Amino acid sequence: MKKNGVNMIKISAKNVDVFYGKKQALFNINLEIEENQVTALIGPSGCGKSTFLRCLNRMNDVIDICNVQGEIVINDFNINDKGCDVVRLREKIGMVFQKPNPFPKTLYENISYGPTIHGMAQSKQEMDEIVETSLKKAALWEEVKDRLHEPGTGLSGGQQQRLCIARAISVQPEVILMDEPCSALDPIATAQIEELIDELKKEHTIIIVTHSMAQAARVSQNTGFFHLGELIEHGSTDKIFKNPENNKTQDYITGRFG
Amino acid sequence: MNKNKEKLLAKRYSSEKRFQFLGKSAIFMALLFLAFFIFKIFSTGYTAFQKTWLIVPVNFDAETMYLDTNPSKEDLEDADYFEISLQSMFNLDKNANEKQQNELKKMVSYFFEREIKQELINDPSLLGKTKDIYITASDDLDQVFKGNYPRDLPEKQRRVTDYQLKIFDQLVEQGKVESKFNLSFFTYPDSREAELAGIASSFMGSIFSILVCLAIAFPVAVLAAIYLEEFAPKNRFTDFIEVNINNLAAVPSIVFGLLGLGILLAVFQLPRSTPLVGGITLSLMTLPTIIIACRASLKAVPPSIREAALAMGASRMQTTMHHTVPLSMPGTLSGTIIGLAQALGETAPLILIGMVAFVNTIPGSPMDPAASLPVQIYIWAESAERGFVEKVSACIMVLLGFLIVMNLFAQIIRHKFEKKWS
Ligand SMILES: Nc1ncnc2c1ncn2[C@@H]1O[C@H](COP(=O)(O)OP(=O)(O)OP(=O)(O)O)[C@@H](O)[C@H]1O
Ligand SMILES: [Mg+2]
Repeated sequence: MKKNGVNMIKISAKNVDVFYGKKQALFNINLEIEENQVTALIGPSGCGKSTFLRCLNRMNDVIDICNVQGEIVINDFNINDKGCDVVRLREKIGMVFQKPNPFPKTLYENISYGPTIHGMAQSKQEMDEIVETSLKKAALWEEVKDRLHEPGTGLSGGQQQRLCIARAISVQPEVILMDEPCSALDPIATAQIEELIDELKKEHTIIIVTHSMAQAARVSQNTGFFHLGELIEHGSTDKIFKNPENNKTQDYITGRFG
Repeated sequence: MNKNKEKLLAKRYSSEKRFQFLGKSAIFMALLFLAFFIFKIFSTGYTAFQKTWLIVPVNFDAETMYLDTNPSKEDLEDADYFEISLQSMFNLDKNANEKQQNELKKMVSYFFEREIKQELINDPSLLGKTKDIYITASDDLDQVFKGNYPRDLPEKQRRVTDYQLKIFDQLVEQGKVESKFNLSFFTYPDSREAELAGIASSFMGSIFSILVCLAIAFPVAVLAAIYLEEFAPKNRFTDFIEVNINNLAAVPSIVFGLLGLGILLAVFQLPRSTPLVGGITLSLMTLPTIIIACRASLKAVPPSIREAALAMGASRMQTTMHHTVPLSMPGTLSGTIIGLAQALGETAPLILIGMVAFVNTIPGSPMDPAASLPVQIYIWAESAERGFVEKVSACIMVLLGFLIVMNLFAQIIRHKFEKKWS
């Protein structure tokens, strides 16, 4: 959605610090994520990309020693507030993990799980519809429509990852977080997922962590570069790749380190 | 250089061969012991499933029983069967003197009067007639017929007299001795007389104990394990609890027996010798086993499944109940079965809470006094009579059968779950 030719801001992180115990993993991150755009997070291993991504749906709550400070505002609401309900938050912010992790249940149950716990379908028909549209959006429907009641773990790696994407979009989240969604996949499956991401950005805001510069350049409109827990530079993908301001960004993109 | 390498290679191969040989012989040894054990038990125990009967003509004489010709049901119940029972035994040898008559009487179980009574109650038309009735032979004759009894000992060292043997051999010749399946071994409670002793009381006692144990230990252990594994914060206090659960699993079972004695019987005044107390005591023993098994299988559920559920907006409770716990169930159940199997074979704590008492009734509920299978084995193994030797082995067979059925059951459950979850 554009307002006066400028993209709306969906998420804005203000002064975010993250600690694992005493060790600080993220330093004063300030980043704005535009609605209905793909934002890529890049940077060398261990620089805190996953940590930042997990801040956005409060998945870091699961880790006992992890402590997040600062503000993360989504829809004018600071999700780090005490009053924030993580269950509602995670309904709005879906996540796709590095390794495909379907539930060891049937394909149908995998997709219907989210809508079930959030009470999104009133009848079996409605649920069937949700399952079908989710699978169609994830470009998996044609391949699996005849075996919806077989276990999801029986699919190939790429199919499993698309199943996980279908699962994530089944609850119609506003934002989808993807942590290296293609790192376990072959180039063909990767291409399929990239195509999918392009399609999904019409309805969802997407943030993707990736180690592949090429992938970031292909799928994203905006890019943020992390290094040693700091956000070194962010802006439009074009600018970051063609004309970065910071030397470190330049070095990383041209493959001189990382 | 090359030679050295070859030498080394040969050495590596031979060491592998040596290891394989040792491994195979270890397995062979184990199987040998097992085969020997099973052979021993079966060869001494299988005869217990047969019982010897004497077929004796009984004259249901109304007058001797103080009955009129058309008695009511109550009359039949109250009639005097002693005389006709005695007479039918004495009739086996019309010329017997008093001492011999006494010996004749002892050739059958002391239940013979009741067996004869039952016959008439089942068929009142027998009144006034004579019929051949099956009567349980005494345990010594039972052993004689099964060939387990040393007949060539001098008479003084035998419990069977020469006279009894003579009459018995005559009966055998006339085809009046029969061996039939020993149903009473399964339907009768324990008895001082080997020919009448059965496992009904101890079997039911074991079932009730196990059920009480399961009903208490399983929910408590699973809840504790889920809480500790999925919800409890990891701090010193929970570490302390974890260490102590492991300690609890290593406590000798007799200590739990003392606990049952001191607390359940002395403080709470629960009824002694009952499966209720036995089951509670056993559940204390089983609790840590199930907790440890359940925690281990919860730990084995990949964290990615939990993350997937949480990221879908499931609460912690939902993640646990919808995903983690069902996935951990096969492991938990098999741990539970192992714990119950241990409890099933446990003797010492049950002896302490009085389940070793002689019980000649079949318990109808966990509140009735009962024995248990392993305690029954212990009681019979202590008895001097020859008739109990085979019963010990037979009871072991039943116990083993019980365990095999339990394991089979566990396997089936496991199989079903695994099919469903992967
Ligand atoms: N659960 C944890 N406990 C303690 N430290 C952690 C934990 N997770 C991450 N860290 C630390 O936080 C820092 C950032 O980790 P993070 O996983 O965010 O890096 P990343 O950029 O995603 O790396 P990669 O590209 O390898 O996935 C690292 O130094 C890591 O050691
Ligand atoms: Mg990462």
